[in-house]
Amino acid sequence: MSDTPTRDDQDRTGMPDHGGSTGSDQLLPDGDTVEQPSADTPARRYTDEQKYLVFNKEFMPHIDSMYNFAFRLTTDEDDANDLVQDTYLKAFRFISSFEQGTNAKAWLFRILKNSFINDYRKKSKEPAKVDYQDVETTYNSEDAESEHTVDLRAESVSDLIGDEVATALNSLPVDFRTVIILCDIEGFTYEEMAKILDIPIGTVRSRLHRARNLLKEKLRDYASSMGYNEESEE
Amino acid sequence: MQTSSSLSSSSSDSKPQMKEHCDHQVDCLKMIQLILDGEATDQQLARLKANLVSCQPCIQMYHLEQEVKELLTKRMEKKCCPEQLVATIKSKILTFS
Ligand SMILES: [Zn+2]
Repeated sequence: MSDTPTRDDQDRTGMPDHGGSTGSDQLLPDGDTVEQPSADTPARRYTDEQKYLVFNKEFMPHIDSMYNFAFRLTTDEDDANDLVQDTYLKAFRFISSFEQGTNAKAWLFRILKNSFINDYRKKSKEPAKVDYQDVETTYNSEDAESEHTVDLRAESVSDLIGDEVATALNSLPVDFRTVIILCDIEGFTYEEMAKILDIPIGTVRSRLHRARNLLKEKLRDYASSMGYNEESEE
Repeated sequence: MQTSSSLSSSSSDSKPQMKEHCDHQVDCLKMIQLILDGEATDQQLARLKANLVSCQPCIQMYHLEQEVKELLTKRMEKKCCPEQLVATIKSKILTFS
C-alpha cells in the first residue's frame, strides 16, 4: 500500500551519533514514525538541556499510557515497571532520533513494543507457545475461520465487569491483544498502529478484525459461564 | 425499534423494510469496525446509515461492536504509572549525559 514509508535509509546513514551499539538501534524508531520534513537535518543535536526538556515535556506526559500498555502486554506489575523503565531510558539514550514536535506517543509506543518483543519476551514466563510474528501465519492459514461474525448480542456482555473484560483480553495471543489495546484503549489511528507495529495498514485492519472476533468469543464464553447470558431471549 | 415486530409476520405480502438476513455480514462487520474506529470513508458511513434502518443483523452487530469497545474503554481499569517509577526514571536519566 502507498502508506508504507518509502523513505530510504539515507537519513539514517547520515546519523552518525550512536555508533558503537550496532545491534540495538534497529530496535528503535528510525524516524518513520513521523514525517520528517527534511533529510538534510540528519542528526538532531540537542544540548543536554534540550534533551531534558524534550524528555520532560514530550515523553513524560505519556507515562501513564505507556505503563498501562506495558501492564496489558505483560499482565504483571513488576514486569510492566521494568519494561517502562527500559523504554524510557532507551528513549533518552536515543533522543537524537526523535524530532521535537512530532508524534512522541507513537514513537515511545514503538520502542516499548520492540523492547517487549526483543528483551522481555525472551525471559518472560509466557512460554514460547506462539511467537509474535508466527501468530499471523497461524491465523492466516485458517482464514475462512477468522472471516466470520460472532453470534452474540450486545446485551449478553453488557453486564461484564472490568476484570472479566481484562481476563478475556489477556487470554488472546499477544499480537491480537496488542492491536486491541492500541486501537480501542489508546485510540491510535490505523496509520499510527502500522508504524508502531511495522506492518501494513491492511494487516492492521485484518488483525483487528480477527482480534475482535477472538475477543467476542472469549466474552461470550465468559458471559455464559457467569450466567449473564439469557435474560429474556430464547 | 417498533418496526421489526410489525413486519416479521407480514414479510411475505409486502416488501420488507427490515431485512432479517444480511448477505454481506462479514463485510458489513468490517465496515462497522472502520466506522467505530473513525477510519471510514463518507461512502462507508452512508452505507452504514442505510443499513441501520434496513438490516436487522447490521443493527445488532453495530450495537455489539459499540458495546465491546465501551467495555474496553470505560470498564477496564487504566493502570497508572507508580510515582516511584517516575522518580526512578527521572533520577536515572540525570546520571546519563
Ligand atoms: Zn447488513
